[in-house]
Amino acid sequence: MLEVRRLAIAYGDAPAVWDATLDVGAREIVSVIGPNGAGKSTLVNTIAGLQRARSGELRFAGIDLGAIPPHLVCRHGIALVPEGRRLFTRMSVEENLEMGCYRGEARRARGETLDRVYGLFPILKARRRQLAGALSGGQQQMVAIGRALMARPRLLLLDEPSLGLAPAVVDQMFETIRAIHAEGVAVLLVEQNIVRALEIADRAYVLEEGQVVAGGPPDALRQQSRIQEAYLGLRDGGDGT
Amino acid sequence: MPSLTLLGQAVVSGLLAGGLYGLLALGLSLSWGLLRLVNLAHFALALLGAYLTYQLGVAFHLSPWLAAVIIVPVFFLLGVGLHAVFAYFRVTEFTSLLVTFGVTVIIESVIQWFWTADFRRYETPYATASTRVGPLFVPTLDLLACLTAAALALATWAWLRFSYVGKALRASAEDPAIAAAFGVNHRAQAFLLSGVSAAYAGIAGAFIALISTLAPSQIWAWVGVVFAVVIIGGLANPIGALLAGLLIGVSESVTMVVVTPAWAPLVSFSVLILLLIARPGRV
Amino acid sequence: MSARGRSFAAGLLGVGLALGVLPLVGLPAFYESFLYLVFSWIALATSWAILSGYAGYFSFGHGAFFGAGMYTTATLTTALEVPFLATLPAAGGVAALLGAAIGAVVFRVKRLRGELFGLLTLAVTFVLATIVLNTRIDGGPGVYLSAVPLPRLVSSPTGTLYLLALGLAVGTVGMAWAVAHSRLGLGLFAIHDDEDVAEVEGVPTLAYKLVAFTVSAGVAGVAGGIHAMYVSYVTVGETFSITVPLYVVLMSVLGGARHWLGPAVGATIITASLYAFTGGQQAVLGRAVVAFVLIVVMLLLPEGVVPAILRRWRAWRPQRDAAAAAESLAAHGTAANAVAGTSAIGDRHVVGMGNTIDDGHPRAGTTPALECNDVWKAFGGIQALRGVSLTVAPGEIVGLVGPNGSGKTTLINVVSGHYAADRGRIALGAVTLTGRPAHEISSLGIGRTYQIPRPFAHFTAWENVALAATFGAARCSPQAARAEARAWLEFTGLGRRAAAMPHELNLHERKFLELARALAARPRVILLDEVLSGLNPGEVAGAIRLIRAIRERDVAILFVEHLMRAVLELSDRVVVLNEGEVIAEGSPHECVRAARVVEVYLGKAHVA
Repeated sequence: MLEVRRLAIAYGDAPAVWDATLDVGAREIVSVIGPNGAGKSTLVNTIAGLQRARSGELRFAGIDLGAIPPHLVCRHGIALVPEGRRLFTRMSVEENLEMGCYRGEARRARGETLDRVYGLFPILKARRRQLAGALSGGQQQMVAIGRALMARPRLLLLDEPSLGLAPAVVDQMFETIRAIHAEGVAVLLVEQNIVRALEIADRAYVLEEGQVVAGGPPDALRQQSRIQEAYLGLRDGGDGT
Repeated sequence: MPSLTLLGQAVVSGLLAGGLYGLLALGLSLSWGLLRLVNLAHFALALLGAYLTYQLGVAFHLSPWLAAVIIVPVFFLLGVGLHAVFAYFRVTEFTSLLVTFGVTVIIESVIQWFWTADFRRYETPYATASTRVGPLFVPTLDLLACLTAAALALATWAWLRFSYVGKALRASAEDPAIAAAFGVNHRAQAFLLSGVSAAYAGIAGAFIALISTLAPSQIWAWVGVVFAVVIIGGLANPIGALLAGLLIGVSESVTMVVVTPAWAPLVSFSVLILLLIARPGRV
Repeated sequence: MSARGRSFAAGLLGVGLALGVLPLVGLPAFYESFLYLVFSWIALATSWAILSGYAGYFSFGHGAFFGAGMYTTATLTTALEVPFLATLPAAGGVAALLGAAIGAVVFRVKRLRGELFGLLTLAVTFVLATIVLNTRIDGGPGVYLSAVPLPRLVSSPTGTLYLLALGLAVGTVGMAWAVAHSRLGLGLFAIHDDEDVAEVEGVPTLAYKLVAFTVSAGVAGVAGGIHAMYVSYVTVGETFSITVPLYVVLMSVLGGARHWLGPAVGATIITASLYAFTGGQQAVLGRAVVAFVLIVVMLLLPEGVVPAILRRWRAWRPQRDAAAAAESLAAHGTAANAVAGTSAIGDRHVVGMGNTIDDGHPRAGTTPALECNDVWKAFGGIQALRGVSLTVAPGEIVGLVGPNGSGKTTLINVVSGHYAADRGRIALGAVTLTGRPAHEISSLGIGRTYQIPRPFAHFTAWENVALAATFGAARCSPQAARAEARAWLEFTGLGRRAAAMPHELNLHERKFLELARALAARPRVILLDEVLSGLNPGEVAGAIRLIRAIRERDVAILFVEHLMRAVLELSDRVVVLNEGEVIAEGSPHECVRAARVVEVYLGKAHVA
């Protein structure tokens, strides 16, 4: 469903991603792992329309995403849960959720989707009128995910959702992601936390210094010393910890 | 020490004058807060609206309300046009101050060209009408201006708070990139906002024509006060702008009564200066 | 005074004398009047530009200083019968005092830049106008100076004023030139491009802004004093109108606010154009045209007329200039090469650095070069640093690592003085750094680079580095600074790009420019913030070599990095931060294998 081919993205003239190629199928959870500064966020932001790629192809359900204006990308069924949440802190929880379905048919289904989101995150219903900025990190993450869900996406992009969250909360969150996926939403997950990322994924890619250097089923990747190397710079041969 | 009645009258006058400040501040607060562009020409537009109301009334005998019906849409378009220039040249927040500085002087010159620097007074039948509340006089027109300001402030607040466009505006002001990721078209909104802001200037202008004496130099008389009101009330905060206007209005008129009238402008400018220096965080 | 200075002064005096002779040989009064206005505006616009053009702090309050000067003269001559000429220094003094007072308060507040500064200065003008209007200074009816005796330097009264204004204009332009070519000017230009970085490079920003503002105000005051005599009837409305603030901005922007001659050129053009519209309705039209020109200039020619002309001029004569430039670069180059040795990154070969550049700092011995003791820093509700303690020994390379948000950049910002620590002590050798302004910290010997390079956009690479040499710990004279800069550019392999502007450099070159700039300040400790991010593997290898070369020059290094293999290769020791706390410290390989570190980076399951 999502096809990324040889994508190159830059900030001004500072290249962030050189050559990214990956796929996400309509029923998959795909993880992208890699060290800091590898370009994971840049990649996800470009898919969501926040940035334009320098070169390469970006197709979603056959549509060329590079050719449509940024604010129309979400119409095609892509929703973003940005790194660091990036909620509208001066608006209430419910208003943040409503902003998720600003565009298109999602707005018509607002009531129903809102109920579903509150069903997934009951605590948000209790705090619906509170300012989003006043919530705890974990709750904010829920709002960010809920906001994306309100857009009734076919592909959910998650950028480092576990960042800054306590382990127990992270557990919960990944359960939620599984639940969302079970309802038929494809997921592209970018994570620093390798363990979780590989646990949940159907397939995974490793992004290192702006390039996709490995890809495949999680078990295969776990074996590779590549992972250790990428994160900790260790060069011992063989596998494992 | 002035009498209680005099003080009371001062408070009333202050509230009414403050309403007009709030009305004027409303458009500026919106555009500065939500668009991040400082539109100094807001005042010139308001005064232009005042002169047009005057002209339509004197030359074509149109009642001010009818004049407003004509002026508001025209000013909306003017606002859209101004923003088109900003967008085309990718004007930054600071450059916008300088460019609108220039626009202000142009409008002032245009006004002076057509209407000369002589003072003009728009005489209407209700100019002297006022209601009596106990020992206090409440001039009708000023009251109307204040009520309109309150109504508009409330309406704007409701619009921002409850409507989808309003929410999109607020979201966009805080994080335009993410708002765009959820479908908000910032560009289109910016035009809308600029137009609305200019339309508000036109409405304020209509009341200025009815209440005050008109002269081209009047533009600058409002600048300090209204900026003070905008900053005190908080950017993009319609109710705040109204309340701040009332506050400044009252403090000015009380100053006028307790000390001499000529010191009044000092109040608003000094408050502005103090606020700029002392207020923590971004304006 | 340098040779260039002497020839400039001679030229300026020549022009001044030529113009000064005119009234003596009989100039029609109309022209005397017109030229008087030109000179007056030249003085006003040029003085405005000293702060607002050079440093970028656009003030809308020049009218306040002008008015203060006008009323000082008006009051002193009429109420106290002080001779006119004697009031002029007083007018300047009062205005300067006002400027100093405003600056002393406003420049301390970081937020008040850009449009807020403009707004505030505009408000000050109105406040002053109200005060003058309501007190005995004016009181309403205005002040008549027609009875005040004017010393006759020439036969006509306007002639005298002409000469006074000419003197002021010449003096102001000369001063603008001198400032532009001095350390003060260098600092102001740097402030214009990036005030925070300028402060970190050692520019005493507060002091410089204050001096520029005070001087600028003083000149406006004197101009006002003279003008009071010219108009001979002073009113609040005319004096504190929007004319002066508006026109000085326009004239400077039109002519080129960053160039010492720009405002003068702009003033001449505008005054001449306005004089074409005389009186009545046409004056109104004149104002509209002036405003329209301002708008067009702001939108299309952001740099101004003079710089645009200069650019055309240079483009016209490329061979001449290129040869001259190459010559002067070569001259510097031979001297620098003998000292620094060659190290072009492309050559992949770093010749050993001679220690012949005497850095003048004694070896610290066993005391740490940099010491952080229990440093805490919070932003709003977020605790970014929790009691961080670490040391860097002289000549050591310490790697600072940790996941996103662990506080690494915050620590660098606190050490370099960009933020003040809430608690704790930071020391450089025996000297405490905490509590000092950033420019002091820099001149004591801390250098830093930024993760996203922040060069001064209007300075060439050479000038960027020379600025650091001028204001940093080395405190070079301008000539020595240029040689130093040249040496450091060679050291980082940018020798051939010395004359390029930052926007012409690619990311890798800009990162190395950051490095050269930080080194030119002769730091004892240098803080590198992700200097390798965005570089391709070849460039990374070169950068690693460079960092080693830096250490050989006896500079201690604390560097933040995500690229683990670089950290392992380079560091003598590693400090690991997580959520603002140090969780591990020691040799690189130890740290990387420590359970806690692995957990933090990879998640629990990887441990054991």
